[in-house]
Order: sequence, then structure tokens, then C-alpha cells
Amino acid sequence: MLPASPIRPTIDALRHFGRAARNSYDPVLRIGVTGLARSGKTVFTTALVHHLITQGDLPALQASGEGRLRRARLVPQPDDDVPRFAYEEHLARLVEARQWPESTTRISQLRLALDYERGRGSWFGGPARLTLDIVDYPGEWLLDLALIDEEFADWSREVITAARAPQRHDIAGPFLAQLDALDPLAPADEQRIAQFAQTFKAYLTALRQGPEAIATTPPGRFLMPGDLAGSPALTFAPLVLVPGAALPRGSLAALMQRRYEAYKRHVVTPFFRDHFRHLDRQIVLVDVLSALDGGAQALAELEHALDRVLLAMRAGRNSWLTRLFAPRTERVLFAATKADHLHQSQHRAMEAILRHLVERAIGRVRAAGAQVGAVAIAALRATHETTVREGAEVVRAVAGTPEAGERIGETVFDGATEAAVFPGDLPEDPARVFAGASHGGIAPGSLRFPRFRPPATPAHLPGRKARLPHIRLDRALEFLIGDHLR
Amino acid sequence: MSGRSPEETKPSRGPKAWRFDDPQVGLDDGDADDAGGSVDRGRRRAVSITREPDRIDDDPPPPDPALQPRRRAAWGAILMASLAALVMLGVGIGIEGLIRELFARAPWLGWMAAAMALLAGIALVAIVLRELVGLLRERRIEHLRSEAARVLAEDDAEGAQALAGALVAFHVTRPGTARGREEIAQLSEAILEAQDRLVIVERALLAEADRAARRAVAQAARRVSVVTAVSPRALIDIAFVIYAAIRLLRRIAGIYGGRPGFFGSLRLARSAIDHLAVTGGVAMGDDMIQQVVGHGLAARLSTKLGEGVVNGAMTARFGLAAIAVCRPMPFIGAPAPRFGDVAGDLLSRRGAGEPDTPDSRARDGGNPPRD
Repeated sequence: MLPASPIRPTIDALRHFGRAARNSYDPVLRIGVTGLARSGKTVFTTALVHHLITQGDLPALQASGEGRLRRARLVPQPDDDVPRFAYEEHLARLVEARQWPESTTRISQLRLALDYERGRGSWFGGPARLTLDIVDYPGEWLLDLALIDEEFADWSREVITAARAPQRHDIAGPFLAQLDALDPLAPADEQRIAQFAQTFKAYLTALRQGPEAIATTPPGRFLMPGDLAGSPALTFAPLVLVPGAALPRGSLAALMQRRYEAYKRHVVTPFFRDHFRHLDRQIVLVDVLSALDGGAQALAELEHALDRVLLAMRAGRNSWLTRLFAPRTERVLFAATKADHLHQSQHRAMEAILRHLVERAIGRVRAAGAQVGAVAIAALRATHETTVREGAEVVRAVAGTPEAGERIGETVFDGATEAAVFPGDLPEDPARVFAGASHGGIAPGSLRFPRFRPPATPAHLPGRKARLPHIRLDRALEFLIGDHLR
Repeated sequence: MSGRSPEETKPSRGPKAWRFDDPQVGLDDGDADDAGGSVDRGRRRAVSITREPDRIDDDPPPPDPALQPRRRAAWGAILMASLAALVMLGVGIGIEGLIRELFARAPWLGWMAAAMALLAGIALVAIVLRELVGLLRERRIEHLRSEAARVLAEDDAEGAQALAGALVAFHVTRPGTARGREEIAQLSEAILEAQDRLVIVERALLAEADRAARRAVAQAARRVSVVTAVSPRALIDIAFVIYAAIRLLRRIAGIYGGRPGFFGSLRLARSAIDHLAVTGGVAMGDDMIQQVVGHGLAARLSTKLGEGVVNGAMTARFGLAAIAVCRPMPFIGAPAPRFGDVAGDLLSRRGAGEPDTPDSRARDGGNPPRD
């Protein structure tokens, strides 16, 4: 490998200096919507844009509550080589077809200009503008960030150890069989490499379909290749290597290592550099409920994955020097998504579980000087709350339209009828979610979170567009951008 | 969370679902106001489902923009500070010139003047330090009080424990609270609700001070009313009322552990007057009527006497405000002193010696027939 060249950092620093200079008269805020696959990034982004450009209903966002937010609109984005976030399509799909967006397969970007009136607390009065840049991307790619500081040998060992775990025996069988048959020091053979990489990819795909798959195993581009499908940088696999041994030139192992490095250099690093390193604000969406559904193992995996991702981020308080040349993320918000699956009397318990889950990350980010928050939100509220009286028992539940095929007990849903759902009681003590069922943990089956369809549009006044309901989206926004709208 | 019924705290009920098209399920949209009637309708079926309002209750009310202070450059303060600095420079030059002249006339005069200047400087520094310490102490009291209010509002048990520690530390130099501090220390490990702990702390540390403060206010009110009644000139009345108010304020601050200097007293007086402005109107309703009626009666006897009663009442009210701003905790378990507690004897004038404090009343009520 080449020694680290000073050119790249210098260019970066200069670019940031330029940005900082521009920000002084035309402020741009980059918001990172971070989240693993299926945590709701696309829905969050769509809802955020929707609520900002169709005014109102964000009382906790101070600028909006005080009536100072004049208008917001989508403007052409800065990067011409990144697709635009298909806001209109996503919105139409949510509202008209009442379906959630399909999983994101490629990166997209969006720029939103907010015109607002400065508040009474600021030095100058009068109108001002804030520009928001938001990036949406496949959550599968996120865990790649953990690869940046990892060598091929370490990564191989980790993946293979995980594959040999007994509960993955069925899934990993073909992959492990081929791995054992392969001699890493044999001369490289393109045909065999392609075949082996294919098996590895099949293993990753199977892992993702598995019940406890909360976080996917990197490399994420194997699952969501974007436009890189079939390129050599995506044709590699882990190998059993002797620690410390040199790899002979032209061997299978040497080639694999080269491709692994190429993957890091050409895929991961640009993605990280262009979209993650220089975020001003960050919201980390965590699908706590699905992880709870998956059990203690899934939660532990989620915790580990989030922690690794956040290690790569640069959070902390800015001094004037870092603000000019290497800005840091000053606010990080952890948001437990899909809060609409629970009655609001349980939201506090949900937040407690979230805090417990990301305790390590919160501690680290806070120690670096950044502000951290945790909140339970639903960017698009698919349910409403109900009180169910059944004989003497009173249950506070949520009602919505569960997706076809979801079931709770004997009740099976067809995706058309509404139903009231009580998903079970969240534990008061968040530590219990990590305990096994025999140690006071959650008994399997005592919690069930069916997926709901997006809400039916309420019959509004003719000629007026319906507004999507949400839970605490305004509070999340206040935390993320409120201080810039003073 | 509000509205928790006992059923909800029952541990772990399994997940459950009720389809709306189930014939057993009765729906109630919750739109109709006659909720009782619709529940009855639903009860004929086995399950009734009531829709709740689409509201998340923790949303804070939007702040009133008019209440936010506008940030402005403090030009007034800058002007005052720079003028004061100029005056100080002038004074410095004057003194320096004086000493120089004295040296020219006779060295021993010069040395004496230099020593005086040094002494004056030391005294100035000491005064400034004392003022600073007083201000800091006052800040600390304010912080304790707002912290107590926050802990109560958020029901923060850990915060209450930390606050109890801080209050004990604050009272550590006051020997009279030794037993109370001991009591709190014994409770430091116990698991208590925030409010219960604060009530105990309040009783242990502040009960004695509360009594003393109440006595001080009653005394000052009585003195003001007497002096006003006998003083020959209105100007003297005013001067005495102001003097008594300042003395009372400092005394109460001292009772609760503050040591305000000049600036500290000014600050306290300002917040006490603010407090009066806020609470005065409310309190007017409940206890002022008897005063007005009483005043009418007194005024018929003598104008001067009536003025005395009004001035005394004013002092008592100011004293109550002073208690509210000097006390390191809001009144939580102990009843806040009311106007009648400190000014009750302005009218009845029975027993010139003992003020009519609640405990004296309680004593009277507690052992009824002594004679």
C-alpha cells in the first residue's frame, strides 16, 4: 500500500474552507440520515420534506410553531453526479398505493431551501434562508464504513468465525464447504474466484433473509451493488489465512486481498468521504421494535453494528479552527422509529430501551462534546390509538391496517381490514431486553409487532391536500435544525 | 404518563389483536361527545374499541414569542462601566498628585499619606471581595431553589438526592442545623420519591429558619406600624418604611444563610419587588379584605393609626416576598407563611410581646384550658 499522501487531506481542508466561507452568507446544513437497512430512512426523509414544504403541523419546531417559517421548497441539488431523491414518487406510493417504499438500491440526494424570519432572540432581524442537504442511501452500505480500518486478514477471520457459529450451520454450509476446499496459496484462477464470490454472496443474501438479521454483514455492495455489479472490486471473498504469513505473488489470497483493498478504496472510501465525513447534524434511525421481535441476540447485533458505524463518524464540538477546515457533527439524535406501533403510554419505555441500546455510542459522542438526544418517533404514523374494553379488562392499543399475511396469535390479517393491536408490554427495566429468557428477559412471543400499512388518507376538505400524520417528527427536527432557525 | 390504570401496570400480557370486522367487536369512533352512551352501545358486544384523540401528550406548548427577551448590546452597561473607569482614573491621579505634593512638603507626611492610600486600597479590595462572595452565595441559593423546582417537576429521584447533598453542604456552617443534617445523612441511602425526600430535607434544615424569618417579619411590621402612627411627618414615615424594609430583607437573607452586601441587597430587593408584583394581586383577594375593613375602622379612630396599619401591612407583604426570594427551597411540605401569620396582630393588638406566629397559635390551640 502507498503511504498516506498529504494531498487528499489538504484538498479536503481547502474544500471545507471554501464551504465555510460560503456558509457565512448562504448557510447550508448537511443532515445525515443514518440507519441500517429497513430502519425507515426513506420514509423519514419523505415525511421530513413533506411536512416542511406543506406548512404547519410541526408545533414543536419552534420556527414553525411561532409562524416564522415562511416556506420551504425543493431546489436543484449541488452534486450533479448523484440522482435526485424521488420525493414525489415515494410520497405518491405512500399516500395513494398505501405501500411502504421498496428498499433503496442506490444513493440519492435532495436539497431543501427554507425561507424563514429570524426570531426575536437573534442579533439581526429580517428574512433569512437555510439550505438543507439530505442524502438517502441503502442501509446495507452503511456497515461498510467499519471496513475502512480493517485489514483483509482480520476481516476474513471475523466473517469465517461468525459463519462457523452453530446457529448459522444451515445457511453457511455451501460457503464453508467451498472455503475448506480452497487453497489460498494456489495460483489465482478467475473462474474459481467468481464462483466462490458467488457462493459468498449467496451466503450473505441468505443471512439477510434470516430471522435474526438486524444488521447485515458487510460488504454491503454485494447485496445492493448499485451500478458496480460484476466489477472485480465486487468479486472477492474471505479466506482462511495463516496470521502473519506473507502472501505469494499471483496467489489466490494475494488477489483477494488486492480486490478487498480495491473495494475499500473505490467503493467504501468515496462513499464515506463524500457523504458521511462532513455532516453537520446526524439522526440515527434505530428500528428498536424489530430488534425486540428478533430477541436478545438481534439486539446485541444491532448494538454492535451501530457502535461500529458511529465509530467512523466524526462527532464533537467545533472550535473555530475545525469549523473552518474540518467540521464535526455537533448534534446527534438517536431516534427509535415506528413508535406508532405502541400506545404512547409505552413510548417512554421504548426510549429507555433505545438509550440502553446505544449507551456506548451516546457516551462516546457526548464525551467528544457533541449534543446527543434520544427520542421515539414515527415519521409517518400508520395507526391511531384506541382503548379496548374486553369484559373487565381495559387495554390501550393501537389500531391500523396490518399488512397482509401478518399474524398475531390466531388472528391473521388480510391487508384490508383494520384491527386494534396490543403488541405486549415493553419491560420497564430496559436492561431486561438483553437478558436471556431464563434470566428475567423477555419470554419469546410476549411481544409481537406486526407491520402496518401506511394510513388511509382522511377525507379532507376538497381541494386541500391531506397532511400525513406523524409522532414527534417536529421534536426531532427542532433538535436537528432548530438552532439554525433562531 | 398520565391515566395509567392499574390493569396496565400488570406485568407482561401477551400480544393480542382485534379485527374490526369481527362481529364480537363494537366500534366507537370517539367523535360523539356522549361517550358514556356509545360505550353502553359497545358493551352489548364482547369487545368495545374506543378511538382516542390523535394527540401525543408530551408535546410542549409552543412558547410565546413575545416572552423571549431580545438580545441587545448592553450599551447602557458599557457607558456606565467606562464612565466609572474614567472617574477611578481621575481619583487615582488626584491621590497620586496629593501624595507627591505631601512628599515634597515633608517626607513623613508623604509616608503617612502613602500608608493611608494603601490601607484604603486594602479596604476596597476587602469590600469588593465581600460583595463578590455575597453575590455568589446568593446565586447559589437561587440555583438551589430552581433546582428544587425542577426536581419536583420532573420527579427526579436522583436529582433530589444530589440536591439534598448540596443543601446539607450549604448548611454545614450553621451549627443549629446539626441534628437536621444528621437526619438527612441517615436517609441518604434510603430509596425515596423526589418529593418525599425534599419534604424531609425542608423540615430538617429550614423549619427553625422559617420560624425565625416569620418572627422577623412580624416584628418589622409591628415596628413600622407603631413608628408611622407616632411620627410627626410623612417624610419620616417614608424614610422609616424604606429603612425597615432594607433591614428586614438583610435580616431574612441572613436567617436563610445568605450574606448579601450592597449589590446583593439591591438584587434581592429587585427580585422581592418583582415577586410582590406577581403575587400581590393574587394574595389581595384572600387576605386584604380584612385589612381594608380593619383600616376603615382604624381610620375612623385616627388617620395616623390607619396609616400605621397600612404601612405595617405593606412591610409584612414585602417580608413575605423577601422570604420567597431568600429561601433556598420553595415551600414544598411546610405551609408558606401567609399574610395573616405575620400581620395578624397589627389590628387586634393583643399582647404586645409575642407575635402571632402559627406555632404560638398552635400552642394556644394545643393546650386549651390552662387557666
